[in-house]
Amino acid sequence: MKRTTVWSRPSTRVAVVTLAIFFLGALFAPVVAPYNPTAQPDIVALKDLPPSVAHPFGTDPYSRDVLSRVVYGARLSMGIGFLATLISVTLGVAYGAMSGLAGGFVDAVMMRVLDAFMAIPRLLLLIALLAAWHSLPITTLILFLGFTGWFSLSRIVRGQVLALKESEFVMAARAIGANRGRIVVTHLLPNLYSVIVVAATLGFAHVIVLEAGLSYLGIGVPQPLASWGNIIQDGAENVSGLWWLSLFPGLALLAAVIALNTLGERIRETFQSTR
Amino acid sequence: MTEPLLSIQDLRTYFHTSAGVARSVDGVSFDVGAGEMLGIVGESGCGKSVTALSILRLIQPPGRIEPGSHIIFEGKDLATVSEEDIRGVRGNRISMIFQEPMSALNPVFNVGDQVAEVARIHEGLSKKAAFARAVETLALTGIPAPAERAKEYPHQLSGGMRQRVLIAMALMMKPALIIADEPTTALDVTIQAQILDLLRDLQSRFNTSVLMITHDLGVIAETTSRVIVMYAGEVVEESPVEGLFAAAHHPYTEGLMHAMPQIGHERDRLNVIPGTVPAPTDWPHGCRFRDRCPYSWELCGRDHPPLYQIGVGHVSRCHLAIEPERRNHPHPPLVVQQGVAVA
Amino acid sequence: MLSLLVSRGLQSALIVALVVTFSFLLIHSAPGDPFAGALDNPRVNPAIRANLRAQYGLDRPLPEQYVKYVAQLARGNLGWSFSRGRSVRAVLGDVLPRTLLLMATALVASFLIGVGVATVQVSRRGSALDGFLDRASLFLASMPDFWLAILILLAFSYWIPFFSIGGAVDPVVHDMLPPYARFFDSLWHLILPAVTLTLLYASGIARFQRGALLDVMPLDFIRTARSKGLRERQILLHHAMRNALLTLITLIGLSFPALLTGAVFIEKVFAWPGMGLAMVGAIGARDYPLVIGCVIVGSVLVVLGSLLADLLYRWADPRLRQL
Repeated sequence: MKRTTVWSRPSTRVAVVTLAIFFLGALFAPVVAPYNPTAQPDIVALKDLPPSVAHPFGTDPYSRDVLSRVVYGARLSMGIGFLATLISVTLGVAYGAMSGLAGGFVDAVMMRVLDAFMAIPRLLLLIALLAAWHSLPITTLILFLGFTGWFSLSRIVRGQVLALKESEFVMAARAIGANRGRIVVTHLLPNLYSVIVVAATLGFAHVIVLEAGLSYLGIGVPQPLASWGNIIQDGAENVSGLWWLSLFPGLALLAAVIALNTLGERIRETFQSTR
Repeated sequence: MTEPLLSIQDLRTYFHTSAGVARSVDGVSFDVGAGEMLGIVGESGCGKSVTALSILRLIQPPGRIEPGSHIIFEGKDLATVSEEDIRGVRGNRISMIFQEPMSALNPVFNVGDQVAEVARIHEGLSKKAAFARAVETLALTGIPAPAERAKEYPHQLSGGMRQRVLIAMALMMKPALIIADEPTTALDVTIQAQILDLLRDLQSRFNTSVLMITHDLGVIAETTSRVIVMYAGEVVEESPVEGLFAAAHHPYTEGLMHAMPQIGHERDRLNVIPGTVPAPTDWPHGCRFRDRCPYSWELCGRDHPPLYQIGVGHVSRCHLAIEPERRNHPHPPLVVQQGVAVA
Repeated sequence: MLSLLVSRGLQSALIVALVVTFSFLLIHSAPGDPFAGALDNPRVNPAIRANLRAQYGLDRPLPEQYVKYVAQLARGNLGWSFSRGRSVRAVLGDVLPRTLLLMATALVASFLIGVGVATVQVSRRGSALDGFLDRASLFLASMPDFWLAILILLAFSYWIPFFSIGGAVDPVVHDMLPPYARFFDSLWHLILPAVTLTLLYASGIARFQRGALLDVMPLDFIRTARSKGLRERQILLHHAMRNALLTLITLIGLSFPALLTGAVFIEKVFAWPGMGLAMVGAIGARDYPLVIGCVIVGSVLVVLGSLLADLLYRWADPRLRQL
């Protein structure tokens, strides 16, 4: 009835506008960024400059322009987050749906395996995976982030599939003679839509923070590429002296995360209230 | 009847929701005498439970007892006394027994403590003394081995035992009035009879008044001496029990009686009153039962019927009181004619 | 109860076994030699090098290596940390208690603060204060852990230099201090990391507990409690609280990974010499045995935490106690 509520809340609009700015900035980074993010024009005279008109976010210890790095960082951080979330959601839905549809013994085994995965803290799992690499290709980072992010979604999907399996309209579809694959595609997926959208939005926020954290620890995005996490890492040796290196990318990160979390919560509320 | 124990005058409890104002209880008045057992009967949604909750001001927002309502009890108007005063009445002078004994008990405390809590609040008894009192009161309700049972948790007891625990809780302070809201609905038939016997027995022993709220005329017939029939937030008929069963006046009461299963009268299916109770946000003009009534005529759509005096202590909110001959010419109710919700 | 203990214990053991197997596979499937750093390290003498090769049996068939690896772990031998020149077990013996101290302090403080805030919110439901606390907790819950730590570090140790930062004690004077002063020196160093971790964790607890309390308040037994004549305060603090806390126990069991993750970043930012800092240092030094040792111990911690929470829940809920 009140499908418009998600848009009528001001907080939703602020979140969507924020995200749109980030996506556009990321997309048109070469246009938006005033300098080349990896250029080191003068490693002596232009390093560690505080914010000024020429460099609104200051420069880093290699004389690179921090604003440009934050803009390009948006591209990398959001891109990595997006692709990793895509992988997580696909895996989570596939695993959960399979487990729920199979039922019985297969389901029990699949769920125990999932328990084990969920018991390992994601950060530790990633550290163990990433620390083994001397220089990490971005593709591998995306894959690892994606592969470690689907556990809780698959559990939710399984629960929903189990509930839907017993519901009348799926029974009816089966009675008509629709085969399993068809039932999944035509009946289960549309019903899972809300769960997936919410999980994807919140998972996206989570993976951005995780990537930033890993880059801050020095095992995420490799230098000289710019991600929000490794810009902060560049200033980590001298946090008070180079405060602009921590502050600006952190604010960008925080804004993106709050926007995504808000959007996720609002979508969840909307779906719940229309049920 | 001399000075009543409880006198409810023009009680109106409205729920102010986004969908509109639901007038769940809309101008209800009745008295309960000392030591009397009074029944309120009606379908779900007629306002009987809201009436019960209103007496102790247990209505939660967006529900509200409207100004102008009076609930006179022991010389005080419970509708307007302070929070402090109404708390002193709750569980002490007036107590309640609820429908679902499982969900009405807190699952994480043992039943003895939950019963004892009443005496701790109202008499300031120590934990130990209150517990001893709780065990005594549980014994009164016929729970075997009450000292052991008191240490058990709600999920360990049967439905009947749990209802006895709630009754014990209500009896702790020997209140003047017990409000029993569908006390047997959730129970098996055999247990129902035991619980009703227990209530009647306790009522006569302690001379407690009981307000019995139910949708089941059988329960009314078995326990009460006087009955109030509610429909769409209003009292539609009030009568001594014998009078009501001998000669129900309001067509709604008549319908309820026909809907009762009767031994010796085998029928393929029960007679059911066609249609449903209208939405409380939108009571019809005139008589609120008109659409479901087999006797209604144009007056019923125009004038809201008052409570007509039918006999001694017998009133009815039906215009048939002034044109009784229409009862001989029933017609299909409007809801059936319009093809809406044929039961 | 005993059979439950056995089955949950077995389940936990299975999870630990999976973690161990997984870390073994990692060591062997990582590109290049995970011990390249060790084997190239001039500080590693030939004896240690031989020891490493023997321990991991790098030239042996994989199943044999696995059995040996597990056997070593079972004896508590987690390998050799060449960056520190000590056994991993000895390193963890030093750093783990500090991490546990940090986590335990934050856990207790978060529990008290989170439950307190939620209770205030529910008792003033819909008020401006409720709204403010709701926004504040959502804001904190969205904060990236390491960045909040950096901000607090900036604010309280550089701009308002009040608390000591870096390390667990003052490196210069600590050993010369009398015992009580040593205690306060340690406390002074603990405050900022613990406050940061508490802020992050308490916001989650407050949000969850508020929801749990609001779920309980409309239930029938709350109405019963009201009909007995209890005050709203007593109802909230006694009847609703006990039920909501049961749900909270499960949440805490599930959120140990978040607590540990927060601890890793916070230790790094504040140079709190616990397991997280050791692990981060080991990553930089390419000291893979120490990294894996920390991962295994961290996973065991999480598994133990959730096991404890589960048992606590079953003990605290009378409906499950008899099972």
